[in-house]
Amino acid sequence: MLRVKTGELEKMGLLFERYHRVLYGFLFHMTYNRESSEDMVQTVFYKMLKYRNSFTGDGEFMAWMYQIARNVLKDSYKKKSQNVAHYDVTDFADRIDGGTAADEQFEIKQTRTELHRAMKNLSDDHREVLIMSRLQELKYQEIAQILQTTEGAVKVRAHRAMQELKQVYLKRKC
Amino acid sequence: MKCEQYQELFTDYMNKQLTTEQQTELETHVAGCDSCGQELAAMKELWDELGDLETPEPSVNVKVKFYAMLDTYTASVAEKRGFWDRITDNSNKLWQLQPRWPLAYSMIVVLISFACGYWVFYSSRTDKQDQQLQALSSQVHELRQTMMLALLENPSASERMRGVSYTSEIKHVDKQVISALLATLNNDPNVNVRLSTLDALAHLSDHPEVREGLIRSILDQDSPLMQSAIADVMLKLQEKRSIGSFKELLKQKDLDRGVREKIKETITQLI
Repeated sequence: MLRVKTGELEKMGLLFERYHRVLYGFLFHMTYNRESSEDMVQTVFYKMLKYRNSFTGDGEFMAWMYQIARNVLKDSYKKKSQNVAHYDVTDFADRIDGGTAADEQFEIKQTRTELHRAMKNLSDDHREVLIMSRLQELKYQEIAQILQTTEGAVKVRAHRAMQELKQVYLKRKC
Repeated sequence: MKCEQYQELFTDYMNKQLTTEQQTELETHVAGCDSCGQELAAMKELWDELGDLETPEPSVNVKVKFYAMLDTYTASVAEKRGFWDRITDNSNKLWQLQPRWPLAYSMIVVLISFACGYWVFYSSRTDKQDQQLQALSSQVHELRQTMMLALLENPSASERMRGVSYTSEIKHVDKQVISALLATLNNDPNVNVRLSTLDALAHLSDHPEVREGLIRSILDQDSPLMQSAIADVMLKLQEKRSIGSFKELLKQKDLDRGVREKIKETITQLI
């Protein structure tokens, strides 16, 4: 990224290849909307180009990218606040299931959909921390850098998020 | 540690964020505690399910769009820089083409020649103009004077009055004009012409001939209107030399009674 900053803009291509999947994953689980996630990936990379001078090189590139992504998400929430956000959860569940046997397929589909619904019902803060730690396999220290907080605070938040998810999920299952 | 405290560590345990000591301690506790074991199993199940949540691959569009955006952005940045460079290069070239000292020298020469030309042209023009203007105005003055004098000879009373009114427009009244006016004042058959002549002469009271002529004229007037008008003018000019003439006038037996009183009043005021 430092080389992009000094004017080698084409190096942004390398960063894109390396990170756009991770970024897309994060945005997808935050919104459960494929289309808007793709748009947001584009926006995040555009902003990184535009504000390349604000990258100090002190922290990790990942942290910087996540911070920009979170801001883009906030902006999109503001825009969507009028019309209720719609998540294509069931649509997504249909697509990811391959050619397993009918019964099994049904069960898996059910579980995943339920879990998606539960995730959807978590607060953004909690969902965010679970996505980062479980799905993106970031260390607490890295998450703390992104959220600009301490490792201890991330630990507490992750614990609370798991508790909340368990409660929401079990309530739905029963 | 209590069970509750161990349970608080479950998330960190599954996240592999515990130290090896904490990990072994937790594992030994869970092995000996049924409730904690169940809890951990449930959490683990949820954790695994969560990990199985699939993330779809972004579509090819994302890549295409990104590279298109990167290209346009790079191009726009390059263009901006290129445009600016071209401008500075050109201005520098311009400066090199015209070496500084010769340029400054020729500028000074141009300025000086402009100044000289302006000075010469301006001064010659004013001299000529002044001369012309003076000649013209004196011509106009003469013309007016002749016309006035001619008008005073006119048989029509209104034309004669017009001639009298021209006096106010003549700047330098000479003796010829004054004598013509005084002749009109004393001899004109029309009272109105004489009255307006008196008005005109009253404005010319700076000339001593006018004052003397007016005093002399007191006895020549026979109209009561003119007599009282002259009395007013004398009062206005504070002309004490007129008192003798007025006293003379009072000796006339056929003098109008109104005029007589007015003259008496004027005499007392003048004294």
